[in-house]
Amino acid sequence: MEHTKHLWRAFLILLVLGVAGIFVRHFLIPESFGEQGFYRYTSLGEFKEKPVIHGAVGSCTSCHQEIADTKTAGKHASVSCEVCHAPESVHAAGGQKIADMPTNPSHTLCATCHQFLEARPKEFPQVDVTQHLIDLGVMAKGEAIPDGACIVCHQPHTL
Amino acid sequence: MNEYEKEEPASRRDFLCGAAQQAAGAAIILAFGEQLVAFSEAAAGETAATAEASAGVPYDPLKHRYLYLIDVAKCIGCGACVRACALENDVPDNHFRTWVERYMVSRTGEVTTDSPNGGKDGFEPLLTGQDITKAFFVPKLCNHCSQSPCVQLCPVGASYRSPDGLILVDEKRCIGCGYCVQACPYGSRFIHPETHTASKCTLCYHRITKGMLPACVQACPTGARRFGDTQRPGDEVTEIVASSPVRILKPEMNTEPNCYYLGLSQEVR
Repeated sequence: MEHTKHLWRAFLILLVLGVAGIFVRHFLIPESFGEQGFYRYTSLGEFKEKPVIHGAVGSCTSCHQEIADTKTAGKHASVSCEVCHAPESVHAAGGQKIADMPTNPSHTLCATCHQFLEARPKEFPQVDVTQHLIDLGVMAKGEAIPDGACIVCHQPHTL
Repeated sequence: MNEYEKEEPASRRDFLCGAAQQAAGAAIILAFGEQLVAFSEAAAGETAATAEASAGVPYDPLKHRYLYLIDVAKCIGCGACVRACALENDVPDNHFRTWVERYMVSRTGEVTTDSPNGGKDGFEPLLTGQDITKAFFVPKLCNHCSQSPCVQLCPVGASYRSPDGLILVDEKRCIGCGYCVQACPYGSRFIHPETHTASKCTLCYHRITKGMLPACVQACPTGARRFGDTQRPGDEVTEIVASSPVRILKPEMNTEPNCYYLGLSQEVR
């Protein structure tokens, strides 16, 4: 057995490489990687912890039941409060009011839904806003649409 | 679900494997029948995610499988979904996790499309100078494909498909190479200008795991966007997808999207 020494050398080199490999792998591959697939499973938990900005369905009604009842009886029943106002998180936190809820009286907000567009479903209530205001005598042709022009006649909650 | 897909006949190997599995299953049922019955009864007693969340049951991603449904005929192109998404997920300006496209088709078949600022500010009247015979809005978002090219080619395992069926990007793993942005056939991804990592729709994972709706679904005033869970007994969206003539985008890509469209016109790409 004159070559035993060579075999031992090869064995030792392989052993060192193997141990080094396990060591490097331990530091390179993050925890939970491969638990459910080729990804870091704990990252799912990180997604869950992102802050919630818009409230849950009906979260406004816990304080504003009256307005909600009025709105639900009207044509805007299916429109979430936050669409026209702002996300719940700017107004309330932990059931307490932290700031005033903004209201947007601009006609541009109404127009995002109700300006007449060819691509809108035909049965959806829509109007050429400029022509409508000219027809009513609110403004003359070529003039800018006055701020809050829509809500003078149309009350969004009681429609 | 894919209308172009045909069922392939089972091979002899598949058949034998299936038979072997069924035999093994039968043996297990014989051995542990009572426990299995008890387990399935417990599963049937489970109701909507909201009830679970309020009862303090920890969210289990293995018990959900989400799908998304868009009813094209109901979309009014108001852009409330795009605005809600941007606020909820802090999406940077000029980038979109969801957006709305307008299609205008003339009598001669010419298609005009636009999506000013992703439809975030709504749409202005558009004069094409053509005889428009068909016009509609198409909301788009990540299709959360079952066979997603973006996940297949991610070199670092940052893009992945979660057990509940969502395609997500692990920001801590992503190296921002942008391969996935190029690979997505639907253009649903972008490189975030601040984090320099890939960013995309998560179907509001932080909301749905608490039993809430994705921000875009909640903001939609006409019910054009709907969200469902195939694992929830009696789920309406699952039922609609199962029983209605739904379509998916780019079926030729074989990506198996989990986002379905009702009333989708063939001009949509």
